[in-house]
Amino acid sequence: MPGIQFAYALNAWRPTYDTFVRPEQHARALKTVSVSGFRAVELNCGAGRWEPLGNLEMMEANHGSIAGFAAFLRSCGIDAVSSYFFDPGVFLSRAGIPLAAGKSADRAEIVERVHEYLILLSALGGNRLVVKPAPAYWRTGAPSKELLRNIADLWNEVGELATKQGIQVAMHLDCLSAVRTEHAIAELLGATDAKSVGLAIDTAEMVLAGLDPLAIYNRFTGRVNHVQFKDVLLRDELSEATQTNAELNFLSSGGSREVTRWFWEMGTTGGLVDFPAMLSAMQAGGYRGWIVVESDQTPYPATSAMLNGWYVKHKLASLT
Amino acid sequence: MPNLRWSYMDHWRERSPRGLITQYASVRSMDRFIKQLAVLGFEGIDTFFFSLPQFDAMFGSLAKFEDFMRERGVQKIVNVFFAKPNATAGFAFHERSDHDNIVRTCETIMERCRDISVEGLIVMPTNTYWQMEPVDDEKIAIIAELWNRVGEMTRRYGAKTSIHHEFWCGIRTPEQIDRFYELTDPELVYFFCDTAQHVIAHVDPVALYEKYHARCSGFHFKDTHNLDTTADFRRPPDAELLSPTVERWFWEMGTSGGLVDFPALMHAMKRHAYQGWVALEHDKADIGGSNYAEATAVGKWYADNVLTPIYR
Repeated sequence: MPGIQFAYALNAWRPTYDTFVRPEQHARALKTVSVSGFRAVELNCGAGRWEPLGNLEMMEANHGSIAGFAAFLRSCGIDAVSSYFFDPGVFLSRAGIPLAAGKSADRAEIVERVHEYLILLSALGGNRLVVKPAPAYWRTGAPSKELLRNIADLWNEVGELATKQGIQVAMHLDCLSAVRTEHAIAELLGATDAKSVGLAIDTAEMVLAGLDPLAIYNRFTGRVNHVQFKDVLLRDELSEATQTNAELNFLSSGGSREVTRWFWEMGTTGGLVDFPAMLSAMQAGGYRGWIVVESDQTPYPATSAMLNGWYVKHKLASLT
Repeated sequence: MPNLRWSYMDHWRERSPRGLITQYASVRSMDRFIKQLAVLGFEGIDTFFFSLPQFDAMFGSLAKFEDFMRERGVQKIVNVFFAKPNATAGFAFHERSDHDNIVRTCETIMERCRDISVEGLIVMPTNTYWQMEPVDDEKIAIIAELWNRVGEMTRRYGAKTSIHHEFWCGIRTPEQIDRFYELTDPELVYFFCDTAQHVIAHVDPVALYEKYHARCSGFHFKDTHNLDTTADFRRPPDAELLSPTVERWFWEMGTSGGLVDFPALMHAMKRHAYQGWVALEHDKADIGGSNYAEATAVGKWYADNVLTPIYR
């Protein structure tokens, strides 16, 4: 893979079963991303009508085949799907229920679900399966040895499958994750296979969780195989990301401060992430892979894509 | 060096925690606006005469506003648009007695732009159709006199006066348009091609451009899904904003159902070796739940991916 390449995550358009479902809506989003300077996209995995870009069934229904979907992407100025984001806790099959990465009884089904995305990534030019590797902290507390072992076994098995297709697993630690300290990250990385499983750094999620993404990158340079760029204006100074039902009460509702929106475009006044420093460190560390720019939680996906595109072009491109 | 440079005709709105705002709400909003245009590859903006004081208020001068734009990747204000749709006191274009006032008003605009290199004053040539009908040769002649005077004035400022034919103005049919250009000086009064406005009025913008290419100073590239089939053009009080038959007249390029043949126009521009600015426009883009940001991105995507391969 040549050096650093930028992609854009389509999660800002927030597909649900009844919004952002029509191919013409997808085309407008993809064209917006393309004309903003991004030629690849990251998509979410998910079942049926709940995630219309996230499964083979809907892809075939809308575009006939994977090749038809690839042609659709190209017709919008998008060359590749850089990566799929795979969260076992969402509906990955129409019949299924949310699965748990830390539960050994779910392992076989999770591995089974992965196959579809390895096929899709191979066909669509991507090479990273970005996974949500661990449960939220509030469900398990600090990860036990057993939990870490279960998680590592799962992602090692997925990684072994993925590498056969030229794909790596990237473990994405969000601000709610049970794995939320440098020590826990080191343990998890130590238990996983460096050839097939790496760390995804999401700048804003880490800052919100109280971590320093630059320090994390510098410590685990050789294991970072995926990066997501988005900004954040606040840290979780009240430790609410670890409280019960944090997905709803913290991430979605904004916690007791009722923060309307945690995540922001690069270049936002007051942003806590130092992107040029991050990129410089990645250059120095020999990073070769994707930087996926995200704007989840934006009320204005098109505006965010353009502002992020401007930032890449005017502030980051000269560093690559 | 490309033959075409892309400008954005400003109708921008965005939703905010305070409700709908324009980019004039704050310097931060303006910063976001200009960056969005810059990343799409726009080199200039076209703006309205009534926006000029707002730039002054925000930045101290138009020159300082242009500095602000250039720091973000957009180079200049290309054109200023002037219109007085309502025939209010002193602004009835078909009344000679109002001409001194109108010329003075246009000169005030140009004077305000003295320190920057605005290239054109784009004008709606008349009031609404219903406020000046019947349209006859005598009225067209009076209006031609006015714009010859304005053209002479703007030439002193190094800018062209160009006529933008709204489908609901008084010079809208091929016959009216021909008569008007016969009566105006080609060195002083130029043709400005707004693709959607002509199509709505049942006028082929490609044929019109072919006819007046030598006098064409620029374009508004925007689309429409509807022809005016019920004489909306003459319906009070406002055919463009309050038509009972069509809720949204204007669309960004590249939508399903668009009636403007942009590729054909690009081929014509190539044939005539047009060199200059093309402005992307899609006023009223947010009617029906869309938004200006996405409409602008999709429109510019169409320009880059469909039109530029024809002529650049």
